[in-house]
Amino acid sequence: MPDLGRLALAIALLLAIYSIGSNVYGARRSHPEFIASARHALWAMCAMVTIAVVALWTGLLTSDFSLEYVASYSSTTLPTAYKFTALWGGQQGSLLFWTWLLSIFTSIAAFLNRRRNQEIAPYAMAVLAGVAIFFLGMLNFVTRPFDLMAVIPAQGTDLNPLLQNYWMAIHPPSLYTGYVSATVPFAFGAAALLTGKLDDTWIRTTRRWAIFSWFFLTLGNLFGARWAYEVLGWGGYWAWDPVENAAFMPWLVMTAYLHSVMIQERKDMLKVWNLALIGLAFSLTIFGTFITRSGVISSVHSFTQSGLGPYFLGFLIVVVSGYTGLLIFRAKALHSPAEFESYLSREAAFLFNNLMLIGIAFAVFWGTIFPVLSEAVRGVKITVGPPFFNRVAGPLALGLIFLMGVGPLIAWRRTTASNLVKSFAAPAIAGVATGVIALAAGLRAWYVLTAFSLAAFVLGTIVVEFRRGVGARRHMLAETAPKALINLVAKNNRRYGGYIIHIGVIVAFVGIVGSSFFKTEVKKSVREGQSFSIGAYQLRYLGLSAFENAHLETATARLEVSRGGRVVTEMAPAKLFYKREQQPATKVAIRSTPFADLYIVLAGLDQNGQATFEVFLTPLVFWLWAGGLLMAIGTVVVMWPNVRERAAIAVAVRGAAPVSIAGDPAPGQ
Amino acid sequence: MSVRARRTLVLAAAFLALVLAAAGAGGLRAATRPNAEQVAQGLTCQCGCGLTVANCNMPTCSFSVPTRTHIQELIDQGKSQVEIIGFYRRKFGEKVLSSPTTEGFNLFAWITPFGALLIGVGLIIFTAHRWRRVPNSSSPEPAPPPSDAPAFDPELRRKLAEDLRKGG
Repeated sequence: MPDLGRLALAIALLLAIYSIGSNVYGARRSHPEFIASARHALWAMCAMVTIAVVALWTGLLTSDFSLEYVASYSSTTLPTAYKFTALWGGQQGSLLFWTWLLSIFTSIAAFLNRRRNQEIAPYAMAVLAGVAIFFLGMLNFVTRPFDLMAVIPAQGTDLNPLLQNYWMAIHPPSLYTGYVSATVPFAFGAAALLTGKLDDTWIRTTRRWAIFSWFFLTLGNLFGARWAYEVLGWGGYWAWDPVENAAFMPWLVMTAYLHSVMIQERKDMLKVWNLALIGLAFSLTIFGTFITRSGVISSVHSFTQSGLGPYFLGFLIVVVSGYTGLLIFRAKALHSPAEFESYLSREAAFLFNNLMLIGIAFAVFWGTIFPVLSEAVRGVKITVGPPFFNRVAGPLALGLIFLMGVGPLIAWRRTTASNLVKSFAAPAIAGVATGVIALAAGLRAWYVLTAFSLAAFVLGTIVVEFRRGVGARRHMLAETAPKALINLVAKNNRRYGGYIIHIGVIVAFVGIVGSSFFKTEVKKSVREGQSFSIGAYQLRYLGLSAFENAHLETATARLEVSRGGRVVTEMAPAKLFYKREQQPATKVAIRSTPFADLYIVLAGLDQNGQATFEVFLTPLVFWLWAGGLLMAIGTVVVMWPNVRERAAIAVAVRGAAPVSIAGDPAPGQ
Repeated sequence: MSVRARRTLVLAAAFLALVLAAAGAGGLRAATRPNAEQVAQGLTCQCGCGLTVANCNMPTCSFSVPTRTHIQELIDQGKSQVEIIGFYRRKFGEKVLSSPTTEGFNLFAWITPFGALLIGVGLIIFTAHRWRRVPNSSSPEPAPPPSDAPAFDPELRRKLAEDLRKGG
């Protein structure tokens, strides 16, 4: 199996190199048979990488410790599910997994474009193959997943205990899917620049890829946050760690991109900006990988001392300089007769929305690299942690939320003051009323008051939009309200799916604000039968039970949870001890309600039978996950096939006159 | 847009950036009295985990566990957040702080994001100015009417007509 894996990766590299030459030659000399051959080579490359992945999975599942990777990240006692997920638990395996996803997406893109986009698709495939060559080069020559052990150990080192969690089974694949699928729109953007075919064909062709990427970046970030919440045991879900930041930045830039392409589709503006954004999004995915694997910036995440940093930095420099050079080279051709009438217009709202998103991304980037700058300039190593990011990104987030409310209700070109007042009166009243009620309820923090008011304002604008659409259908088609609502969303899925995403963002935002500002914490050491309280809850320690198997030892405490004298549940936080790794870990107990999460950590046990508990009461955190779910649902609605849009794309890519699909746009249109 | 209106907009943007910067510098704390977690968030754990003292999850960490206890003791003695963090800074140096100070080179950490935002606002105004054209005689696209208005915007009407034509 190791030989097969090595051979497959070597052949995959050769196929990727061949596909670039064949694609470019076929496109330049108009030889379709060469383009077809290149396409087949990409499919064969995907098959080869798949063989390598299967070979490594086989090694992991059969505990083949002759493989260095298996010996380092698995053991015979590791549960089978985690042997499977160990593929992305270590350096080489995760790079192989990344390359596999890239080869799959490249194959799908090659298949979807086998008969269309003949001008730019071969170049896009060449760019995708170029990216694959970098990763395959790493896997073949720098960080090889099929290296063998000099002496075969009887047992493996095991997977890091923190990664032995079901969220870790889905967090990296989601995030990697988001990262890697961003390569497809980037490749088409680069191909548009290479060929000079600079209309919005590349945007239309890759719109679903961009949404797909955004969808998985969203899920990946949320799953990662949930993993941190359940596994790390500090009661929080986001620590502004450099690697978290590295995942957050592409999400912000992709969000900006998905909004700004609407302006290009509708008004033929921002061509340079959109190309720059997709280049930036892709570059940030490589930057994130550089951070994770270079050790340049301290991070809680693994891989940081891998020595791969220079390779990723070199690749990043090549990508950024090459792409920027192309943008400059095509600057004149990208000039379009843009028109702008008023700051009270949807165009302006979208521009400022982009500014806020990129502003937050820049603030996060700046905070992430500032320790390196400080060390270079002053020779003093400093830390840039949560207080910095909260203070800098927090106010910008408020601006962004405000613009989320403004954009959808404001007209293209310009809006009169009277229309503005009419459109925003009800949402503004909702926002102010929420603030007043919150103030009357005793809230005094200006940020919380502003955040809740803005959330109500934005929700108000979305309700106004839905109400207007349903009202129109009822008026013109005599539909019932539920039928009108369903038809409204079904027939304008891009627009109303977008609104559902906005609702999800607001709900998640409320969850973030509530859980950040009102969390309370109690730490208590108690003996069996003793009680303590947090908020309205009383907790009684019932006792301890132990469990042991070949893999780990577990000590589980049982706590009776009461509220107002009535028992509501029993909770069981635990301490784990992983035998192979000789490493302790915690298993938190969480009781989640829409009002607050009761979160219990078994912090310590002493010889006298006394147990120490760290308990957090975190209001509204439930809504962070609920908002994430809504965002996912909204994205599915947006991506749902739309017959009209498909017809428009088909006509456009066949080379007919541009057909507007702006009649069925996303929020703001 | 008139020159005066544009000036007003630039001033408003500058004011907004200043307010945001002030808000950032002032912090987002909900309460003035420190609690142990707030203070612990201001300090970086020195065990090598890279997290704050509040977030370090190692049950037996030789730094975060005693530091959290010590912070609580100092709060109980009536020490303020500034005093406690100052104490740790004197003891361990700047590296123990979880965010840059607001002095010297570190000031760049705080100013740059808001400065960049201000530059972005300037760029938008500059670009919008270049894009501006004299409005033609056609009236602006009407803004969406209020929810209780009987009329509907032309876009919605067009889409509905299209739906009707398709039997929707």
